[in-house]
Parts: sequence; C-alpha cells; structure tokens
Amino acid sequence: MDMLQTSIDGLMIGSTYALLGLSFSLVFGIMRRINLAFGACLLFGASLAIYLEPILGWGAWGLFLVTIVGVALASAYVERLCFAPHSKRHGAVTAMVASFAVWMQLDEISSQLLPQRTHAFQGIEVPNFWWGEIFVRGDQLLHFAIALVSILFLYLLLYKTRLGLLIRATADSPETAHLLGARVPWLGFIIFLWAGILGGVAAFMILSADGYVTPLFGLWSTFKGLIVMIIGGVGSLTGAVIGGLILGLVETHAGAALGAEFRDMVTFGLVFLVLIIRPGGLMGVKIYRTDSLAQERV
Amino acid sequence: MLSVNNLVTSYGLIKALKGVSLEAKKGAVTCILGPNGAGKTTLMFTLAGILAPDAGTVSLLDQNLTGLGAPKILRKGLALVPENRLVFPDLSVYENLLAGAFTQSRAMAAQVSDDIDKMYDRFPILKARHDQPAGNLSGGEQQMLALARALMSRPSILLMDEPSVGLSPLIVDEIFAIIKQLNEDGMSILLVEQNATKALQVADYFYLLDQGKVTFSGTPDQLKDDDIIKRAYLGGG
Repeated sequence: MDMLQTSIDGLMIGSTYALLGLSFSLVFGIMRRINLAFGACLLFGASLAIYLEPILGWGAWGLFLVTIVGVALASAYVERLCFAPHSKRHGAVTAMVASFAVWMQLDEISSQLLPQRTHAFQGIEVPNFWWGEIFVRGDQLLHFAIALVSILFLYLLLYKTRLGLLIRATADSPETAHLLGARVPWLGFIIFLWAGILGGVAAFMILSADGYVTPLFGLWSTFKGLIVMIIGGVGSLTGAVIGGLILGLVETHAGAALGAEFRDMVTFGLVFLVLIIRPGGLMGVKIYRTDSLAQERV
Repeated sequence: MLSVNNLVTSYGLIKALKGVSLEAKKGAVTCILGPNGAGKTTLMFTLAGILAPDAGTVSLLDQNLTGLGAPKILRKGLALVPENRLVFPDLSVYENLLAGAFTQSRAMAAQVSDDIDKMYDRFPILKARHDQPAGNLSGGEQQMLALARALMSRPSILLMDEPSVGLSPLIVDEIFAIIKQLNEDGMSILLVEQNATKALQVADYFYLLDQGKVTFSGTPDQLKDDDIIKRAYLGGG
C-alpha cells in the first residue's frame, strides 16, 4: 500500500514537472533554441505575484493569475531582446549567451521585489481526503487536473489547428514553409508566450505546493526543465510529459525508500544513465534521425 | 503565359543569370536544359521569388511578378517544386498536403479537402501512407508528395526543379509519366532537368542554358538534326 501511495504522490508531482518540462522543451523542440533565462522568468513571475499580492489583495487566485501573466511577460521580453534578433540559422549560440545575460537581470529584479530570502507562497485551499486507504492531498489533485487540462490544450492547439500546423511546418523547414506562403512572422513570440503561460502555471503549482519561494527557485526550475528534457527526449514534447512523470515517480520513490538526502543523487544518477544508454533521451531518437537526414542532404 | 524578359540575377558580384529571356506557353511542357552551374536553379529561385532579380521582368498571364516575394508569387499562380523535394519530414503526408494549401483562405476548407482527395486519386501511394511522417517515405514517394503539395495551391503554372535528381531509373520513368499525365490534364509545366534524354521526351519546347545565358532554343525535333549541340551539351547521344 505504501508503494501505491508513493506512486500516486509521485505522479501528482510528476504532472507539474511535466508541465515545467513542456514549457522548457517547447522553445527547444520548435525553435531549436536554449533559453537559459527560463528559470529566471519563472522566478520573476512568482516574485511579481508576491510583491503585488498585498496591493491587489486577490488571494491565492490572484497569485495564480499574476504569476502566469508575469512569466508570460518576462518570456516575451526575453524573446524580443535575445531571440528575435538572432532568428537566423546560425544565431543559436548568440541567443543563448544573450539569454544568460537576461537571466542575471531578471534575477536581480526579482531580488529587488523580494528582499528577504524566504517568502510564504499561498496555495489554493482544497480539502484533503482519504480514498480508501490512500491519502490524497486536495491541492495536488487540483494541480494534477490543471496540468492535464494544460497539456491537452497545448496538444489541441499544436495538432488540431491551422496555426499549429503553420507553426510545426515552419519549425520543420523554415525555407520550405516560406516557399509555400506559410511564414509566421511572430512565430518566436507566440512560442515564448505559450511557454511562458505553461511555465507560469507550473511555477504556481510547485511554489504553492511547497508553500514558500526563495531566490534559488529560478536556477532550480531551469535544472528541472533540463533534466526532464534530457530524460524524456531532447526536443520531443511527448518526451517532456513522459520525462516529467518519470522524474516525479523516481524522486518520490527515492525519497521514500532511501531518505530525502538521496533524492537528487538518484535523479542525477538516472540522468547519467540516460546520457550513456540513450543519449537522445527516451523519445529523442526521431530528432536524431531527421538531423542525420539533414546532414546527408547537405 | 509565363514570359521572362532579360532577367539578371547575381550573388554578390557574380552574375548567375546574364539576361535570360524565355516563354512558357499555356498547356505546354517547357524544358530548360543545361550543365551544372548554368544558372538553372537560380532561374527557378528567381521566378519563384526566393531570389530577387537585379534587372528584367517576369510576368504570368499579364500579371507582373517581378520582385514580389515567394508567398505573393504563389498566390498569383506560380508554384515551385524545389530540388531535393524538401517535404516537411516530421509532418504526416496529409499535413504536408494541407501545408500546400496555406495560401487558400479558411473559407475554402471544403475545396481543400476535395483537392486532397483528388491528389490521393492521382497518387494512390500517398493515400496508403497518409498518416506516416513524410521523412519515412522513399525518394520517389517524397517527390510525388512535393508535386502533390505544390498542386494543392491550384497553380496555373508548375515549376519543377530537377524532379529526377537522386532517384533510380525506374522511379524516374514513373515521375516523368506523371508529368506527362499532368500536362495532358491541362497543366502548364516549366521543367528544369539535367537528364536531357528524359526531359526531351516530354518537352514541347526547350531552352539550353549555359553560363547564365540562353544559347539555344527550339523543339525537341530540331535538336535531332543538330548534332553539334547534342554533343556539346547533352553528352554524346
């Protein structure tokens, strides 16, 4: 029964990791760009929400809303400043280094907004309950549902709409898409905005489950996003969801079986194994294939 | 229908096209032959609006296309099937075809799905593979997909850049049979090829391009009498 309880806890946490990973992988999977300021955007959104909370007084739902808007705004800012000017084929490194600079900037703004080290982060109150012999945390169940809906929404947007097809075509081959009259001039902006919204939802869920926010949250979420992407498959969105769930399960099981201090060790051990056995990640093989095809064509 | 007048295109200081004039007639297969580096692909890219010309004019059915970008030119009825096919490898065959209809407005949805059915009738292999990623198709199938995708924009003239490149002889025969069939159904085609023997079998009229200039033009019959050109450009024979 303990095993089942731990697995359910793991899946609940994993769903928020999946959302975090999805937000991180969206930018890489579609634009082939690494956004180092990813975590800093999340921290900025959370800091803004806490800063504005006493002024607005909207409670937990206010935190939820402002976090999402804040992260989306910061994401859009990063895109305009670091990624839009370097959208050409060879701009990847320049854009990544530029995003590093903005990471520092956003971190600094966040620490101005939140001068103390630790700030309480209120969650949406949902009563906990027992389901048979399994204890279910109400807020985590709510988060699980929100994550599920967000993932479904992104899927429908990307795979069932005309805009989604335009975006995927442009991601696949910008030149051909242009030839077919399918240029999306605001492609990067739209992707960063979507990633920001998903990241904002994930940030709120993680912080409210923890109950507090520290300035380390930014770096922490960049790490988690990277780890999920590496496990799940570099650039694969399905992989990000699977990778997030696996990470959640592994962390909680490792924590329950070996103690909290072994949690990160087991996680990084898993990353190490994946890098050796399957360097593209669980679902990353496809990217490998198309990349090698592209090489052959040249 | 498509008339090109004194077209000049350069890459920096190098002039790749040095004043090319040609005419593609309605309902005909017009073929452009020439060795590597003759400027064939440059010509195609300029006509399709990927490259901008320095001088000269391009017009299609009395609309001036000179200097317009690729999406606009496509909307005016000129579609290019690029060399090496360039399908979207991660998109399914069906989605590739849909992508070909990007220029059609939302209101045309019914017509677009009609067109896709027509493409499936013409290319049964695409129907069989409609939900597979295009990157998994063979070279010949990808060529058919690229061709079908270009037709999805309902062009009045179809430009094809080296449709036979990198394909086995049997598949090349098949592709040329399709080109012939398309033409018999009324499509005007401007074809660039290195495989001169094949191309001349379907061409109504052809131009020889060498070092950015048209050096000869005529019907394939005229070529049969002209041994010198055959030797010089088309490799013995």
